[in-house]
Amino acid sequence: MSTALVVFVLVLLLPLFLASWRVSLVGLASQGAIMAWLAYDRDGVTTVADGVRLVDLGLVRAVIVPALLYRVMATRRADARNDVIAPNLVSWALALTAVLVGFRFAAHMPLPDAERPFVAAAAAALLLAMLVLASSERVFSQVVGVFRFENALALFELSRPEPEAEPGFRVGLLVVLVVTIGLARWYLRTLTPAGDAPAPEAP
Amino acid sequence: MNPALWLLAPLAFLVLVGPGRRHNAITLVAAATVEVIVATVIAIGGVDTGADDLLTTDATARLFLLVIDWAFVGVVVYAWNRARVDATRPEASARRAYLGIVFLVAMNVVVIANHMLLAWLALEVTSLAAAPQIAQASLPGSRGASWRYLVFSIVGLGLASLGFWCLGHGGDGHASMRFDVLAHTAAAPDDPWRELGFALLVLGLGTKLGLAPMYSWLPETYDEAPAAITALLAAVQFNGTLVLLVRVLQIPGARDGVAGDALLVLGLASMALSAGSILATRNIKRLVAYASINHAGVIAIGLGLGGEAAYGVLLYAVSNAFIKAILFLSIGHIEAHYQTKQMRDVGGLIKDLPYTGLFLMVGTFALLGFPPFGSFLGELLILSALAASGQMLVFAGFCAVIATTFIATGRSVFPMIWGESRIKATWHSQRLLPHLPKLVLLIALVMMGLYLPASVNTLFREVAASMGAR
Repeated sequence: MSTALVVFVLVLLLPLFLASWRVSLVGLASQGAIMAWLAYDRDGVTTVADGVRLVDLGLVRAVIVPALLYRVMATRRADARNDVIAPNLVSWALALTAVLVGFRFAAHMPLPDAERPFVAAAAAALLLAMLVLASSERVFSQVVGVFRFENALALFELSRPEPEAEPGFRVGLLVVLVVTIGLARWYLRTLTPAGDAPAPEAP
Repeated sequence: MNPALWLLAPLAFLVLVGPGRRHNAITLVAAATVEVIVATVIAIGGVDTGADDLLTTDATARLFLLVIDWAFVGVVVYAWNRARVDATRPEASARRAYLGIVFLVAMNVVVIANHMLLAWLALEVTSLAAAPQIAQASLPGSRGASWRYLVFSIVGLGLASLGFWCLGHGGDGHASMRFDVLAHTAAAPDDPWRELGFALLVLGLGTKLGLAPMYSWLPETYDEAPAAITALLAAVQFNGTLVLLVRVLQIPGARDGVAGDALLVLGLASMALSAGSILATRNIKRLVAYASINHAGVIAIGLGLGGEAAYGVLLYAVSNAFIKAILFLSIGHIEAHYQTKQMRDVGGLIKDLPYTGLFLMVGTFALLGFPPFGSFLGELLILSALAASGQMLVFAGFCAVIATTFIATGRSVFPMIWGESRIKATWHSQRLLPHLPKLVLLIALVMMGLYLPASVNTLFREVAASMGAR
């Protein structure tokens, strides 16, 4: 497994144990940046589709998503502490188990050796995203869960070189992601209480 | 030129220029009317020039184009009437009209797409266009419901995209992304990627259909959204998602492994869960929402069986699109009139709102699978296929749940139609014109139970054959 993928798994796990929304955003930014590096390192930028993918991973996921969410949380004067999963031993054990299950899954499936570490990390990322989505009640944590989920899917896609990737589809996927970010930001702004205001109805 | 493009050209123009600021709802009605005319010409006229890399007008596309475009036109005529009566209604907003057109374009693309990724992208666009329309400024709870809908959509469609990715890994690792090619590709035996891919697709698309275990978004969303949006989700988006699932199940070997069994189990679980909820609820919109989960369960069981159940599933699914449009739009009228969704507060509809009462009554009979509606024939065909396949446990469970739903729904809804109202509301006498689209849908429902024109019946048979019917 490459160093970049090891770091990717670490940035998947660390924000779950450090209960801070800022750390969660750093985690999302790091995931995007590592995936951009992995894509560039393997394929370079030889086609339009490669370029669009690099913008998707390196700009939108690594910079725009965390920056927009940071702005909303900062303007809402959100409390620094934010648990994306429940802070107890059961949740932490489940998180570690999810990583192990992801790696066991990749070990058992018929895959070329080069793809196996990608699929292992992506499967772990997907299971952790599901854990975050299933256990969080706050909108911010759910938004983080949604983007963790999107990143896991992007890593699955990245695991295999696509010989005939259509730039049109890449642009389509990027547009859908950008609209999702816009909507997530709107929901975060309207459903997150400002400062010490009472919490709105949990969605 | 692919005839599928005839559908998209006028709408793409509207998306680019946007609806006019003053005539939002009427722009949407005009767009939907153009669409329904083109869809009917393509479907009834049997226009099929084959498939290309992206689009197709095969029998599946033609049948469901008819369904979604007719249901859509019914919904937008309702919205236009609501906006005409009260200009402050959400239906009058330019933003909603624009999102409505985006939704219509994307939904048509889902149905005519011949490429997995294109169909998936278009379905995602329909969810992104629908989510903001669920939220209503006057109802704070609707924002939460809207967010929940979006999260479940992203997760469901994400799992489906992972399913497509797994299918691409199957075989020699270079599977085609074209549905028409996949439908004629021999099944690879014991391929774990294909097996996983089909299972994820059933789970992901099942989430969008409201199947257990990921159904909790549906009752809340249908309840909180404006009636027109609820009808769009239940009648139009549901069938768009179903098209994608049907195309997946047209791939040889799709239901041989986990996916086939999963459809049966999830279908029965959804039916059982919804029957319990129908017994407990006192809210008419939630009741019909739970009935939608019930119907999704019936359809899943039929899809899991395939073969002889296929014709019944199609009849049932198409009937349900129209039933749900009729019921949710009627509930919209009731809600506007009485300012409540509580069933015990409403009564004597047949005297107070004669057209709405009549459509609620007939829609409920169709919902419960009474003859002569298409839903009756569809359910009967699915049940006989279940018995013939020897799945007697599922058969018994199916019958028990249907009987419970029948009693629970009748007990709650019929007093609304004939009983005494607790709320006295005055309104102008009802005009027939706003109800005409519902009347058209109702005629289609009855025709599906009694007599189908040869060209439409051929469509049903062709799609059923592609799903394994003889």
